[in-house]
Formats: sequence, structure tokens, C-alpha cells
Amino acid sequence: MTSRPASERRTILVTGGTGTLGAELVSRLARGSHASVVVLTRGTARPRPAVPPNVQMLTGDVRCGPTFGLDSSDAATLREHITDIVHCVADTTFNRPLAEARATNVAGTQAVLAFAKECQHLERMACFSTVYVAGRTTGCFAEQDVGGADGFVNSYEQSKAEMEAVVRDAMRELPIAIYRLSTIIGDSRTGEVTGLNAIHHALRLLYQGLAPMVPGQETGLVDLIPVDFAAKASHYLFEHEFSPGATCHLCAGAAGSATLGALLDATMTAFERYRPAWRKRSIARPAIVELETYELFVRSVEEAGNQVLLQATRAVQAFACQLAYPKVFDNRHAGVVLARAGIAAPNVLEYYDRVVRWCVEKNWGTAS
Amino acid sequence: MTRVGIDALTYYLPAYAPTLSELEALGALRGPASTLAGFGFERARVAESESHVDMAMHAVRALLSETDTSPDEINLVLYAGALTSSSTMECSPAPAGSVLRLRDFMDFFKYPVSQLQSELDLSNASVAGIDQQGCAAIFSSVRLARATLLAEPDVHTVLCVSADRLPHGASREVVYNLVSDGACAMLMRREPKRNRIVATHQVTKGAFWDSGSLENEIIAAYFPTARTVIEDTLRKAGVTLDDIRWVIPHNVSLRSWEILLGLIGCPREKLFSANIGRVGHTIAADNFINLRDAADAGLLHPGDLLLLFTFGYGLNWSCMVLEH
Ligand SMILES: NC(=O)c1ccc[n+]([C@@H]2O[C@H](COP(=O)([O-])OP(=O)(O)OC[C@H]3O[C@@H](n4cnc5c(N)ncnc54)[C@H](OP(=O)(O)O)[C@@H]3O)[C@@H](O)[C@H]2O)c1
Repeated sequence: MTSRPASERRTILVTGGTGTLGAELVSRLARGSHASVVVLTRGTARPRPAVPPNVQMLTGDVRCGPTFGLDSSDAATLREHITDIVHCVADTTFNRPLAEARATNVAGTQAVLAFAKECQHLERMACFSTVYVAGRTTGCFAEQDVGGADGFVNSYEQSKAEMEAVVRDAMRELPIAIYRLSTIIGDSRTGEVTGLNAIHHALRLLYQGLAPMVPGQETGLVDLIPVDFAAKASHYLFEHEFSPGATCHLCAGAAGSATLGALLDATMTAFERYRPAWRKRSIARPAIVELETYELFVRSVEEAGNQVLLQATRAVQAFACQLAYPKVFDNRHAGVVLARAGIAAPNVLEYYDRVVRWCVEKNWGTAS
Repeated sequence: MTRVGIDALTYYLPAYAPTLSELEALGALRGPASTLAGFGFERARVAESESHVDMAMHAVRALLSETDTSPDEINLVLYAGALTSSSTMECSPAPAGSVLRLRDFMDFFKYPVSQLQSELDLSNASVAGIDQQGCAAIFSSVRLARATLLAEPDVHTVLCVSADRLPHGASREVVYNLVSDGACAMLMRREPKRNRIVATHQVTKGAFWDSGSLENEIIAAYFPTARTVIEDTLRKAGVTLDDIRWVIPHNVSLRSWEILLGLIGCPREKLFSANIGRVGHTIAADNFINLRDAADAGLLHPGDLLLLFTFGYGLNWSCMVLEH
């Protein structure tokens, strides 16, 4: 790898640049730096956000190996110009069969790393991960900690932890930083949700009165972040404080988190506020229960073969079980660096109401 | 403060007790017998020729005779039932799909409680029917009996009776529970020998009145509200779960009780569960059948605090704490 001549523009490859985080990052990268941005995705049904002129869209698949299934000359040209890689591609569905999750998150990342090794002008690379590589660990989980000692709650967490191992290995040769995100819940300014995840599905089930219980503890902290913070913080770290070999937690931390009980209360309050008629449905706040009780309920639904409740429990199960392993993410390293730039995650209760409002008023994105 | 309680109680269960596989063979289950077996059921009690009033009369006759009570002593009869049946007609044979066999509009005015008063010669008793609360109706009659005994000095003995039977040919499986026919009868008095009522509590959520179309929502609604109702009853009684010696259940599935016990943090050993498998879920009388059997088995001692909880369509969650 050699440095690019100062006169040349940067070319930033953003894999997964149309996703929840990727789309926000692409617009910041395209706006903020004198760079060309190349976005690589499979181009599936997801509606494409308006693309700035200095952004080029490529259709490829990281599961196809280091050329991503591109024409070999296109891949070579890309390798020639790339100076930065922001790797956002992931299969973010929590309950995929492990082999499928690995295909995108581990083998797909290996392909991107193999591609990166061939980029002669590569200066830096960011790989996005999740703080939930912590898995079933409880208590404090720090940036230098490697997760999974107590196992994982779902295949997503496990595959991302395996991805980190692969990335850490590649750090010996490549200038890579790992950015571990907490769960993105929506935009703190507008409440808009661009990608529905298990939390939004859980909210919808609660709204429909199909969520009788959640595992966890009333006072257990739930770490959630808004997408604008995730994009702003990771963009800042990547552009201004890039530190090869670092692992950074982009999370709310203890100060920015709320208890599970408070979040459930806020949810019920918001449902009543934004759909006054909902109150008439007399839907109770879900009970917070021990994991054993929750699992017995799930097993009973499975044995009863009740399809509606089965789908409902499956939709949240893979995420909900994480609530039974309360933990706090220590973001000492990233937190200090970001604080210097005046960037901090807001407390979730400052904007949570807006997110629930968006879900209710937009009917979880199905209403125009 | 005057104490009111359940001085004596009896019950009646039909003799016919088909097993789950027999019911399955008869086409009387919605799903496979194995699912209900996994949830803790073994057999149901199924009335053959007896109507719900017949069963109620059996229970009351036994009660009067066991306690050597003269029919004249009864001042008030409260007759509870889940299926809105004001009719006293025999249910067999019923036209397909119908619950009542009405020959005439006037049949609506044939009241079970009046028939019972007449046939058992309870001539000093005024009567009332209590229904529209599913399996929680008997709890309401106990609650109202207590209120009457506290409010009206000339009422000394209240007979609470509850009886229900499913129509012939109806599925015995309702929301993953095995439903039985049966009846119970109780004498309620001031300064009772046993079973003093410490607290009662009921929550109604009429939003779920259309039970048939809201089955999934009802299953989901059951648990969190059951927990708050139990907790609120304990609070009213001024006790905690630790003080409760036995939980005397309604005989919905053992599985759902295990989940509910998990929700309220109650050890499994406190649940009197012996009857769930062998009796099934009688609409009318579970908790009181169980109370009687637990007492007969020598499990209850004077002063023991008992928690009784039930749930009925409507939706109604009802709970009481008794001091045995
Ligand atoms: N969102 C969160 O709450 C959260 C939390 C913690 C960590 N993270 C991490 O942050 C990163 C971004 O997450 P996100 O929420 O933005 O993900 P996302 O919304 O699911 O988007 C995934 C992106 O990857 C693309 N993609 C998926 N499979 C691909 C493949 N095989 N080849 C090429 N492109 C593919 C998708 O576009 P196509 O479908 O068109 O290919 C899309 O652009 C991921 O590493 C994720 O693990 C996210």
C-alpha cells in the first residue's frame, strides 16, 4: 500500500451504504469531504435514498468473494482508487440460521478484507460491529473486551463476534478500526425509523396487545442510540480521530440509557398520547419476567401451535432474551474523544417519545 | 370489624369422566389431545342427562345435609353461571350449534335460581342470578354475599351456588383448556368457623367483550393483568405472597399456572394443582372444588392464608384472600 498523492481525491467505498446507518453516513461523507463515495450493495428492494452527485452506486454482493461479483475490470479499477473503506454490510436479522448469518457477516467481511489488502492506496478502514458481541455477559462490557465468553443470545451476535475476530486478525496488516454500535432506534430529531428492527416489531406487538411479557429486570438498563448520533459519532471518529487497531463503543452508556421499566412506561404513555382511542383497548403493560418464565411461555406457544402468537413471539424472542442479561457498555475511549468534539448520545428518554409517535402515526412505516 | 366467610361448601361433578383420548375420538377437542396432555390435563367431567340446575341442586342438597342446615335458614340465594342461560330447560337434545333450546320466547323467563328455591323449599330466601362474567361469576357472588351480610343485619345466611355445563356436542377445549361441567354451593355467614374473607378484588376489561374474535389478544392480556390483580389483592389484604400458604387455582392449564407463578414470583409448591389433571376446568366452581378437596386432604390448617384467583370471559380477573 502506498499513500495517494496529496492532489488526488479520496475515494471512499461504503459497503451497505443504503442501510439504516450506511445511508446517513454516505450523505455525511459525500457532504463533508472532498471525496468520491462509492456505495456497494446488492440493490434489493429497499427504497434508495436520494443520492448526491459524488456518490456512485455499485451493485455487488460481498458473499461472492473479493470481487463482490463485479466485472473483474471494474473491481480492478475500484481497487486502484479506493483510499478509505467503511464496511457497513451486515445481515442484521437476529434470528437467521447461523450459517446464513456467517455467510454475510463473517465470510462477507473476509471478502471485503481480502479486497482491502489489494487496495494500494488504502489509508483507513472502519468495520461496524455491535456492542452485543458481548452476548450473554452481564455487568460492564468494555471496548477492549472480546465478547461471547458466556455464549450468545442469537446468531447475529455470534456472527458479529466471529467477524470481529477476523477483523482483529487483519489489523496486523491493515489500518482498521472497529466501531461497535448500540441498537439504533430512530432519528432523535424527527423520530423517523428508516430500518425496522426487533425493537420496532416488539413495539408493534405491544400496540396490538400481543406482547404479554418481556424478560429482564424492571431496573435493568437498556442501551439505545439514535441514528443521527451513530452517524455523526462514527463519521467524526473516522474522519478526525481515526485510530487503527482501536475498538470504539458508540452507545448511550449508563448516563444515556433508561431502565426497561421506564421504557415500557414511556411506550404506554406515548401510545395513549398519540392514539387516544388505543386507551380503550385496555392493553396492559407487559409483565417483566425472568428468562425462565419467558421461555416457558414461548415454549407453550410453540406447543399450542398458535400461529399468530408464534410469529409474534419469534419476532421478538431473539432480541428480547438479551434483556435478561443486563449490562452496561463502557465507552470510556470513544466517549472521551467524542466529548472533546461535543458529541454525546442523548438520553433515550429525551427522544424516545418521538420515535414511538413516528411508529404510531406512520403505522410502522406502512402509512405515507 | 365483622368477619364474613365461607362457613361450608360442597360440590357436584358428573360421574362421566372421559379421558383426553376418548374426547379426541369423540371429536370433542379442537386440537390434538397430546397438546392438552402436555399442558397438564387428563380427563374432563361431562354431564349427561343432568342440567346445570340439576347439578346445582345436587350440590345444595349435599351442603344442607352435611351442615344440618334447615332450608328455612337461607335468607338469600345468589346463583352464578357463565353461559348466559336464564333457561331451566333440559339441554338435550339441542339443535346443532345452539346453546339453548328455546321453544318459546317465554322460556327466557324460566329462571334457574327460582326453580332451585322452589324445589329445595328455600322459602325464606330471596334470590338473584349473577352472570356475564364467565368463570369469575362465583367470585362475584361471594363478594356480593359478603357485602350483603355486612350491610343487612336481617340476612344471616347466604347460599352461593354456581353451576355450568357445556351444551351437548360442544368442544371441550377452550383456549387450550379442557372444560368440565360441575357445580358448587357455599354457605356464607358472619363470624364463620373457617374461610374468613380477608380481601376480594376484581378487574373488568370490557374492551375484550367479543371473546370469539380476540382469542390471541385475550391470551396475551391474561398474564400481565393477572399479576397486577393478584398483587393488588395481596396489598388490599395487607399481606405478601410469603404469607400465603396455598394458592387455590382455577383449573386452567398447569402450564399457564407455572407461567403465572413465575410472573408473581411464587414457588410451585404453593399451588394446589392436584385437580387440574383429574377434574379439568369447570367453568363454575374450580377454586371451591379445590378448596374443599385441599381441606379434605388435610392440607389446610386454621389460620392458613389462601389465595384464590380466577379469570372469566368478559374479561374479568378475580381474586380473593381467605383465612382458613
Ligand atoms: N442498526 C442497528 O441498530 C445496528 C446496531 C448495531 C450494529 N449495527 C451494525 O452497523 C452496520 C450497519 O447496520 P444497518 O442497520 O445500517 O444495516 P441494514 O440497515 O440492515 O443495512 C444493511 C446494508 O447492507 C447491504 N447488504 C446486505 N447484504 C449484503 C450483501 N450480501 N452484499 C452487499 N450488500 C449487502 C444492504 O443493502 P442490500 O440489501 O440492497 O444489499 C444494506 O445497504 C452493520 O455492521 C450492523 O451490524 C447496526
